[in-house]
Amino acid sequence: MTVHFGDTFANLMPKLMNSLLTVLEITGLAFCIAFFLGFLIAIGRMSKSKILRGFLLCIVEFFRGTPLLVQCFYIYFVVPALFKLAGGSVSITAFTAGVIGFGLNYACYMSEVIRSAILSVDSGQREAGLALGFSEAQVMLKFIIPPAVKSSLPVFGNYLITMIKDTSILASISVAEMLLITKNYAASTFQTIESYTLLALLYLVISLPLSQLVRVLERKLNRTKRA
Amino acid sequence: MEDQVVFRINRLKKSFGDLKVLQDVNMQIRKGEVVTIIGPSGSGKSTFLRCLNLLEIPSGGEIYYNDKNILDKGFNRSAYRKKVGMVFQRFNLFVGRSVLDNIMVAPVKLNKVSRANALVEARELLSKVGLSRFENTFPDTLSGGQQQRVAIARALAMHPDVMLFDEPTSALDPELVGDVLRVMKNIAASGMTMIVVTHEMQFAREVSDRVIFMADGYVAEEGTPDEIFSHPKNPRTKEFLSRVLKEEE
Ligand SMILES: Nc1ncnc2c1ncn2[C@@H]1O[C@H](COP(=O)(O)OP(=O)(O)O)[C@@H](O)[C@H]1O
Ligand SMILES: [Mg+2]
Repeated sequence: MTVHFGDTFANLMPKLMNSLLTVLEITGLAFCIAFFLGFLIAIGRMSKSKILRGFLLCIVEFFRGTPLLVQCFYIYFVVPALFKLAGGSVSITAFTAGVIGFGLNYACYMSEVIRSAILSVDSGQREAGLALGFSEAQVMLKFIIPPAVKSSLPVFGNYLITMIKDTSILASISVAEMLLITKNYAASTFQTIESYTLLALLYLVISLPLSQLVRVLERKLNRTKRA
Repeated sequence: MEDQVVFRINRLKKSFGDLKVLQDVNMQIRKGEVVTIIGPSGSGKSTFLRCLNLLEIPSGGEIYYNDKNILDKGFNRSAYRKKVGMVFQRFNLFVGRSVLDNIMVAPVKLNKVSRANALVEARELLSKVGLSRFENTFPDTLSGGQQQRVAIARALAMHPDVMLFDEPTSALDPELVGDVLRVMKNIAASGMTMIVVTHEMQFAREVSDRVIFMADGYVAEEGTPDEIFSHPKNPRTKEFLSRVLKEEE
């Protein structure tokens, strides 16, 4: 048996580049959903209403307590089936199911990050804002959320990297992401070793610089905190 | 108008759970008066100031500000707080915002002052507190004394009618206290109504029109600086003063 890295690279790489675009689209959309929804959940979980707080806690625990892949399956297969049962119809593409599943799931994790970041902002910021005449909402937007976001940037960065890698599970619901493309290519050419090695290397090439970036960010934030 | 009453505080009470911090505080503050509040730590001085701008909601009593009870339902807190500046023991400058931005944010957002005008005024205030060189600096690189002077400029930028100071120099290294006190003296000389909680007895003696000694959630004694410092009547005041004046030596 011989290995044909050159051959694999020439033929598989263009396909992978295409599917990388899909991966980045899903990640970009899902991350935006996760970020904004995460904020809403975080702020809702600090609301005065016990019912809202309890409801959101249930949602968060549900999404954190079940596997991401199961959630994506649920959205892709079960939701349309439920609509049908109710006499309606809805069609969800695998891409959309992936975006929604990843968005919701990550929103729950990120809401916890945001919540603890907001709670760890010094209460003096709030009091100074109120004392000047700002409302609670203005204080939150202007003086609490910005430093909270800033201090959470490294964690968000790590979630972004994890999300990019996690999209590989979407091969199971037939999203044309990188793992599925590789699997199909390997199956039809029998270049198993080359294909999956190339795939792994590609993931590394994407995630290593990003983690490095996060590390730099982290160091920078720590430095300004100490000064 | 010299005798116009700004604050009339009647039977003010504040508890945290079972802990009664303010038992029964009665006080009047007249326009242009500089009143210092002294007393042992834990006697409720901070809580009292925080009740005045509603950072704490009193458990009972009345606070009249220009003859309106600020505890009434529907009282416009934001408008009121814009007119009552507060300086905190730990400065509480907005992190991640430059010195200028700290001073300008409230006038621009709340009073709809144009950025250009706010900038001119912020620079004037900075020169008043002796920090012109630091306008683009971020708070975390300033010394405590510098931060506190920025915080004072931030409060002044709203053109308050009253300024509340909660131990503005207690978190500072001794050599930085003087700069802050000098700024406060200038504000007092400009005719500002000021309520100052402080441990700086020298300042209280020199600058205030009236000194209030608080103990256990009551006003235990009040009078002119001379009455309080030279002829205290209440044994609690005597005991407190002999203790802190000894420490100062
Ligand atoms: N938010 C709070 N919750 C519970 N207890 C408080 C709170 N704020 C102040 N206290 C208590 O009230 C008492 C008076 O505090 P404070 O007003 O800060 O006194 P002072 O400023 O005179 O030192 C202290 O015993 C303090 O522990
Ligand atoms: Mg205090």
